[in-house]
Amino acid sequence: KIEKAKPIKCGTFGATSLQQRYLATGDFGGSLNIWNLEAPEIPVYSVKGHKEIINSIDGVGGLGIGEGAPEIVTGSRDGTVKVWDPRQKDTPVANMEPVQGESKRDCWTVAFGNAYNQEERVVCAGYDNGDIKLFDLKTMSLRWETNIKNGVCSVEFDRKDVNMNKLVATSLEGKFHVFDMRTQHPTKGFASVSEKAQKSTRWRVRPLPQNRDVFMTSGGAGSLHLWKYEYPAQRSKKDSEGVEMGVAGSVSLLQNVTLSTQPISSLDWSPDKKGLCVCGAFDQTVRVLIVTKLNKV
Amino acid sequence: MGDESVPFLLDQGTTKTYQIPIGHLDYKFIEKCTDVKHLEKILRVLRSGEEGCYPELTLFCEKRIEHLDPRSRALRKDKPAATPSDFTAEEWETINGELMSWVTEMNEDDKKPQFLRTDTLHERQDNLPPIRCSSSCLPANQNKTLQNKQRNKKNIPRDYNEWDKFDVEKECSKIDEGCEENDSKARFFSRPSLPIIEKKIDTTGMTKKEKIFVATREKEKGNEAFAIGDYVEAVTYYTRSISVIPTAAAYNNKAQAEIKLQDWDSALQDCEKVLDMDPGNVKALMRRATVHIQLQNYQPAIEDLNKVLCVEPENTIVKKNLVEIEKKLKGLKPVSETQGKGRRILIQDIEDSEDDEERGENTEERERSGREKKIGVPVGGEAATEEAEMGNAHRKFHSKGGGSKAEDRDTQKQKESTECGLKKETSEKKSQKHLSDHEGEVNGYLHSDQKSESPEAESSKSHGAESQSGGGGSSTSLPPTAAKLKSEGNELFKSGQFGEAVLKYSEAIEYVIGLGGQSPDDLSILYSNRAACYLKEGNCNNCIQDCNRALELQPFSLKPLLRRAMANESMERYRQAYIDYKTVLQIDSSIQAANDSANRITKTLIDQDGPSWREKLSPIPVVPVAAQLHRWDGGNFTSEKQPTSTTDINREEQLQMNREKAEEKFKTLKTAGNDFVKKGKYEEAVNKYSECMKLNTEECTIYTNRALCYLKLYKYEEAKQDCDHVLQIEDSNIKAFYRRALAYKGLQNYQASVDDFNRVLLIDPNVLEAKKELEEVTQLLNIDSSAAAGSQQKQRKKITIQEVTECDDQEERQFAAPEGVVTDHVTSKEAVQESVPLKTSEKLRISEPSNAYDFGQIINAVNTNKDKAACADLLTIIDPKKMPVLLSNKLEGEIFLIFIQSLEYYLVGKDPGLVYQHLFYLSKAERFRVVLALLSKNEKEQVQQLFNSLSENQNHQYTLEDLESLKKVYEL
Repeated sequence: KIEKAKPIKCGTFGATSLQQRYLATGDFGGSLNIWNLEAPEIPVYSVKGHKEIINSIDGVGGLGIGEGAPEIVTGSRDGTVKVWDPRQKDTPVANMEPVQGESKRDCWTVAFGNAYNQEERVVCAGYDNGDIKLFDLKTMSLRWETNIKNGVCSVEFDRKDVNMNKLVATSLEGKFHVFDMRTQHPTKGFASVSEKAQKSTRWRVRPLPQNRDVFMTSGGAGSLHLWKYEYPAQRSKKDSEGVEMGVAGSVSLLQNVTLSTQPISSLDWSPDKKGLCVCGAFDQTVRVLIVTKLNKV
Repeated sequence: MGDESVPFLLDQGTTKTYQIPIGHLDYKFIEKCTDVKHLEKILRVLRSGEEGCYPELTLFCEKRIEHLDPRSRALRKDKPAATPSDFTAEEWETINGELMSWVTEMNEDDKKPQFLRTDTLHERQDNLPPIRCSSSCLPANQNKTLQNKQRNKKNIPRDYNEWDKFDVEKECSKIDEGCEENDSKARFFSRPSLPIIEKKIDTTGMTKKEKIFVATREKEKGNEAFAIGDYVEAVTYYTRSISVIPTAAAYNNKAQAEIKLQDWDSALQDCEKVLDMDPGNVKALMRRATVHIQLQNYQPAIEDLNKVLCVEPENTIVKKNLVEIEKKLKGLKPVSETQGKGRRILIQDIEDSEDDEERGENTEERERSGREKKIGVPVGGEAATEEAEMGNAHRKFHSKGGGSKAEDRDTQKQKESTECGLKKETSEKKSQKHLSDHEGEVNGYLHSDQKSESPEAESSKSHGAESQSGGGGSSTSLPPTAAKLKSEGNELFKSGQFGEAVLKYSEAIEYVIGLGGQSPDDLSILYSNRAACYLKEGNCNNCIQDCNRALELQPFSLKPLLRRAMANESMERYRQAYIDYKTVLQIDSSIQAANDSANRITKTLIDQDGPSWREKLSPIPVVPVAAQLHRWDGGNFTSEKQPTSTTDINREEQLQMNREKAEEKFKTLKTAGNDFVKKGKYEEAVNKYSECMKLNTEECTIYTNRALCYLKLYKYEEAKQDCDHVLQIEDSNIKAFYRRALAYKGLQNYQASVDDFNRVLLIDPNVLEAKKELEEVTQLLNIDSSAAAGSQQKQRKKITIQEVTECDDQEERQFAAPEGVVTDHVTSKEAVQESVPLKTSEKLRISEPSNAYDFGQIINAVNTNKDKAACADLLTIIDPKKMPVLLSNKLEGEIFLIFIQSLEYYLVGKDPGLVYQHLFYLSKAERFRVVLALLSKNEKEQVQQLFNSLSENQNHQYTLEDLESLKKVYEL
């Protein structure tokens, strides 16, 4: 057991190799730290990256997931999203910030995606006002943005390391949206389908590592919902002007359970054992679940 | 049923939450109700218990909803997590067991010593891509890196807007002044249409465990891609998985994906790999059978399917497939079924075993004497050119699925032959290159070839007998010794001993010749068989020789022709091969291999010789009807074509081939022509179009386009002819009419011109240019005076108008030729489109806009163009009173200004009253004050000037006092 001065909000192993297993954390003070868990006294990497709490963190390039450099992205209440390379001290390799004067939105969630080769990589960020922004790190540009009306609690690509396929975004009001990220229409963006699980907030979404079309959402009322995305017959079609546009599929509920009366705020799947997952709730319990018959989905 | 009586009694009143009549909470109602939404509400009321608790009714309602809409959200219930008690003992056992075994497995792994630490880590770090942003500088130079980093800090964009504006190229060039600029460009700007995914994964420094993990992941990705039908991606990920650890499953899946992509050969290869690893793999066997069926290797397909049946005797799919194959074989050869099995396979196999040995040797001579007198074979030098182009052609081959197969096989054969040292290849260098190109594939093929050996042998045996069955006789007429030798040869062939088989066949041939007077059929068969052996050995020249002899004895017999074609093809004598294939197809159009090859060669020849490749071909011999009928009588073929008019077939085929490549050429020519028009080079454009016409006389647009060029060149007569032509084909081509009208006008045949314009208007009354032209021409007709200067002027005008019609047409958009006013606007494609509204407004004098939207459109067009004349026209037709409404809140400084200017330049003189009205109502428009406040001094002066002119041109519609008060409104 290790105790640190500042409460830790989020952490990831995403940017470290399978052998190193360094944990990257974001804390309430806005610092990003990377810890060697075998020598946890001093962080291997530390930077005061944000002025306020780091709400969300994601890593890519490690764990055999994602091509290219190991990078960590942090999203903070100060409205910025920063990308860090553990090899570069003190300064982020990319910084995404609202324009001066524009009101700073609280960034609640960040996720890497599209890291299928050494160059390509995108960062998706969700904000408290329902904005979702997709930054292309290769071209260093804002590739796409949309608003889903309610605060974005969690965004997640179904796979970080394939050519962008799907993006799931969950919202405060219990709705979640699945975007088909293969076909981007110049004006309409990506096609999406939305589904409402419950009235309560969808806190977290996680795609099954063994099957990207199955994902679990965790809800404000202590419930977990297991979903499956079904692709349409044709994933893209031509609009009236002959421009390719995506076609959204449909989402079906496979199973749901209620574990607690308190919100389940975090959730993850085991990369090794199909169906094994762990979730943490506000009732200060960590629960381990096994989902069976996933291979029949 | 006690519950339901209650709602009956409470028929009046509604529920509290949804105001549903209480009566609806009833079995009968629910049973009949089809409105899911309503039922959901009822269910919610029932569940809430506010009207009382009716568990049975609730259940009933749920069932009803489920029946109507199984996916209804109302049916979702919160469920507690399952516990052991929810499962049967066995189920729990399995779940628990699985978990436990996994846990122990994991624990074991954890306990294993974790070697490969720091050193490998470093190694891996070295392979990592550079840090972002500083990526474009050299990582080797430490100082430089630091410098750049500092600069980078400044350059990193700080907000979204900056992100959008971020000029990567500029930034890059700033960072490393010119050096590596190309590099960075490529890095940032190449966004390929297809995602580039590395085919291999660098596994240095990975532990075995990691490798397994990565390989599984990649395979899973492949599976996912496969599941959604993205087979190309799936294959890529399977390949990646294999690159880490080759597993049977990955190969197997890859094969399946390749089958979906119809990449039969890779699929075959992968199936073989699987079967190497796991000889009894049912899936792989099934898949290989599928591939074989597709490649029409029915015999091996049957074998594979039978193997599957041994393992899974109940497999219905396999049984079905078997039946289908039987059917196909029957269809293929209803008479001699057993023999027929081998027939196609033979063709296939021979195709596979091509070789380009001894290419230098001139076999043309022999070939000519061989048969088919009509084939004028290109000589010596030609072969050399082919050789030079060989690499090229091959690469092209490779890119398309069908072709690559033959080629790969062929390389493999080359390898074999070189190894055997049977012949010294003159083109050894070439083949060496090939080998290195295909080394990867070759290994796979070694295997696959062996597999295919057995069926083929059988076929060859049968082949001798049936190939000539058209002749009515079979091998029975052979003297026993020869027959024996032949069957021995066949046996040897079957076992893959081609060299020995050749000897046997040669003996048989000698024997037969020695006897003399034997039927040429048998001899031909023997030659043909020996040719097959030679082909197998890769001895193409001997093969061709034997084929020639066989054909001498038996003109137009199928097998030797095919074999010669294959030999020629492998020697890259594509022309000869093409001719042979075509001849084969004349005899039997259903031979798939020949069809495929012919198509393949066509492409190669086009690549090689360009569009006029056909001219270099010697004429394809016309197969006498007899030979075809012959076949028919033999009942060997299911040819679909009527054998009666061979020449027709011939021509038809040729036409078809022609069409393919002609289309391409046609398009390029057309675009070239269009480009010329765009540049105003009408002469050149005419030339291009004329060439187009040679290729395709049907396409009307070319004629209309050329007509346009002629019009521009003032060649009215020619233009008229082109239009006439179009109108013959398509009697309501509006463009043709329009252009002919213009041509007539140019020819001063005004009456005809008027007629044509009228026709245009008849087809589409909205063509305002035509109306205008019509007026003009009618006038001309009336006056009947032709002033030279005037006509020149008119011509110019005509042409500009012409462009407007072009703009409407998608196809001919490029046509909008820059001239005069339009010049600024046609530079880019978008601009062309934009010029449409502009033009309309200019030429039409716009019909009065009915609403603010229309008005806005016109104003935009006018504004982008600063076309004051058009604006003045607009202002003339618009009732000033409506102006504030039409403008709504869209009044802007620019628009305001253009209004003022148009009023000043065009209208004050004509109708000062109108100008006053406009100014008056303009001041009533929304945003008027804002716009006024933002006017610059200069612009204010313009307004002032307008007022001055107004007071000068004062008329009865307004008084000076009015003007003064208005001036105040305008803050002057």
